[in-house]
Amino acid sequence: MNIGVAHSEVNPNTRIMIRRGLWLTYALGVGLLYIILLSIPFFGVPVAWTLTNVIPNLGMYVFLHAVKGTPFETPDQGKARLLTHWEQLDYGVQFTSSRKFFTISPIILYFLASFYTKYDPTHFILNTASLQSVLIPKMPQLHGDRAFGINKY
Amino acid sequence: MRPGPGGCCCRRPLRANGCVANGEVRNGYVRSSAAAAAAAGQIHHVTQNGGLYKRPFNEAFEETPMLVAVLTYVGYGVLTLFGYLRDFLRHWRIEKCHHATERKEQQDFVSLYQDFENFYTRNLYMRIRDNWNRPICSVPGARVDIMERQSHDYNWSFKYTGNVIKGVINMGSYNYLGFARNTGACQEAAAKVLEEYGVGVCSTRQEIGNLDKHEELEKLVASFLGVEAAMAYGMGFATNSMNIPALVGKGCLILSDELNHASLVLGARLSGATIRIFKHNNMQSLEKLLKDAIVYGQPRTRRPWKKILILVEGIYSMEGSIVRLPEVIALKKKYKAYLYLDEAHSIGALGPSGRGVVDYFGLDPEDVDVMMGTFTKSFGASGGYIGGKKELIDYLRTHSHSAVYATSLSAPVVEQIVTSMKCIMGQDGTTLGKQCIQQLAENTRYFRRRLKEMGFIIYGNEDSPVVPLMLYMPAKIGAFGREMLKRNIGVVVVGFPATPIIESRARFCLSAAHTKEILDTALKEIDEVGDLLQLKYSRHRLVPLLDRPFDETTYEETED
Repeated sequence: MNIGVAHSEVNPNTRIMIRRGLWLTYALGVGLLYIILLSIPFFGVPVAWTLTNVIPNLGMYVFLHAVKGTPFETPDQGKARLLTHWEQLDYGVQFTSSRKFFTISPIILYFLASFYTKYDPTHFILNTASLQSVLIPKMPQLHGDRAFGINKY
Repeated sequence: MRPGPGGCCCRRPLRANGCVANGEVRNGYVRSSAAAAAAAGQIHHVTQNGGLYKRPFNEAFEETPMLVAVLTYVGYGVLTLFGYLRDFLRHWRIEKCHHATERKEQQDFVSLYQDFENFYTRNLYMRIRDNWNRPICSVPGARVDIMERQSHDYNWSFKYTGNVIKGVINMGSYNYLGFARNTGACQEAAAKVLEEYGVGVCSTRQEIGNLDKHEELEKLVASFLGVEAAMAYGMGFATNSMNIPALVGKGCLILSDELNHASLVLGARLSGATIRIFKHNNMQSLEKLLKDAIVYGQPRTRRPWKKILILVEGIYSMEGSIVRLPEVIALKKKYKAYLYLDEAHSIGALGPSGRGVVDYFGLDPEDVDVMMGTFTKSFGASGGYIGGKKELIDYLRTHSHSAVYATSLSAPVVEQIVTSMKCIMGQDGTTLGKQCIQQLAENTRYFRRRLKEMGFIIYGNEDSPVVPLMLYMPAKIGAFGREMLKRNIGVVVVGFPATPIIESRARFCLSAAHTKEILDTALKEIDEVGDLLQLKYSRHRLVPLLDRPFDETTYEETED
């Protein structure tokens, strides 16, 4: 394995979300999580759904919006070092198919969770907060923005 | 459909990826279901592009099975999570940290490196690091001796046990024609020249390092390739990276294949020209880029480009695919671009007389503007060359960085190249060269056929001596390399980032030095390991490159 080869694809992080099978893996992962949560005896269906909404969103927030840079050296002298993975996708072009998928999937989970928790207020607050945390950073207007200077460097 | 003087421009209605719907003929692409092919139900794509191709061009890249792709991502996901866990443990000193860290006195300074950029190296690569950089201690012929290493701290450091694993079957060396030898005519000639000239040249070509041997070599290379003149350099990588900047500069356009080698990419970047990348071996993509370049010109000023240079390789060593040279030349002539052909792996290895991919397709070497190649693969030496018109080579003699600043080839190495090249051309009076070429072709066909029959997914063209066997999952990379070494076969395994993340592979390089017995032994072991590691993914649904989903939307780094 050559680490840091000069490759035509300067930053492989930009193309990883569109590779064959990644979306299916994500969907299957969420499904598996739901089944596992459901099988824990003291969680009811509403709690399981809320957790199925919150945990993938948390994972998505951490890996797509909190962690910056690339886990490998890129031959572009670190242009992407201060960018989160979401900002690196497709070299910053908005509204591509991978971006659409990852925007829509938390929304679908939110609908399902809201339905199965019977719109209970506590669950609603949790689910909505979780959805906001994952949707707001994806907005194109906030590309490259760091609110209050958090996570800037 | 006869191509006009312009070439292979298609005037039929196209689908998005450039293929006409099933059943029609487009430029001679004929889909016939399995009448002549071996297995029933196998789609056999043969291109006979209205006379452009004089022989069938069989290239296929089977699609990744979905289950395998999902499992590969799960594997990488688990490895990533464990990587974070280990980093956490290392940070809080629960686990011993083996790699270099900043000194305590410097911790307030701006850091030199970003920790995270090393994540992949320390958490994934280190686990299977024993598959690479294996020290060999004999000539890398058909069999090689490998020094045994052991690691007691999970590959962070290695110790030599003192044993030498002898007679390992060498499936990794680029020894296509078997000239990596320490006995025989080449070695004797090189030894004689060593006595006469010594080893070091101690100067550049422009100063006092221009030996008569170099002139002899260059004339020989020119006659071998069928070009007017040639020039030889000391290092193959440096040939590409130092000569492309001499040929193109700012205001020029480089159209480079997606999977070009690091040396071509580096040379293109060093030149300062605008680089546009077309999909691997995809002529529709290349034609679209050419059209757009000529119609729209340079990005903001709309001026015409000074030069358009197409960079392709003869054989792509990671995919085992052969460039569609007849179509590239037809496009180049139609749009009046220049062609730079890097024959690093194909010179000596392809073609009925071993003269590379131009010979393989039966084309005229004068159509290729710059023919570049290396002496490292088929000639058992080192260095690279560039061949072309006399004006071009004269220009490169004065303007190329390699020629002006780099030390020239060493005399015994030159003699090795000269002897091996004469052997391939048949000028040494024996038929050894011809035999080697034929042996390589037979080995290639046999090996590929047997592997495909066993059920592995093999990428690439049927005639290419580079055979990538798909592994996909990260753990199998390490397992395959280690299991094969246990069975006394040395292979090269490749993973991310040299390949796309899910397409890690083991790459076999066939050689004329491999006899059928060696290949049979190797195949038997590969079969065993394939069953052990469950590598036989093939569902025998071959999809040729043209039908790979050609995503029209490519996002590239915008360059101003």
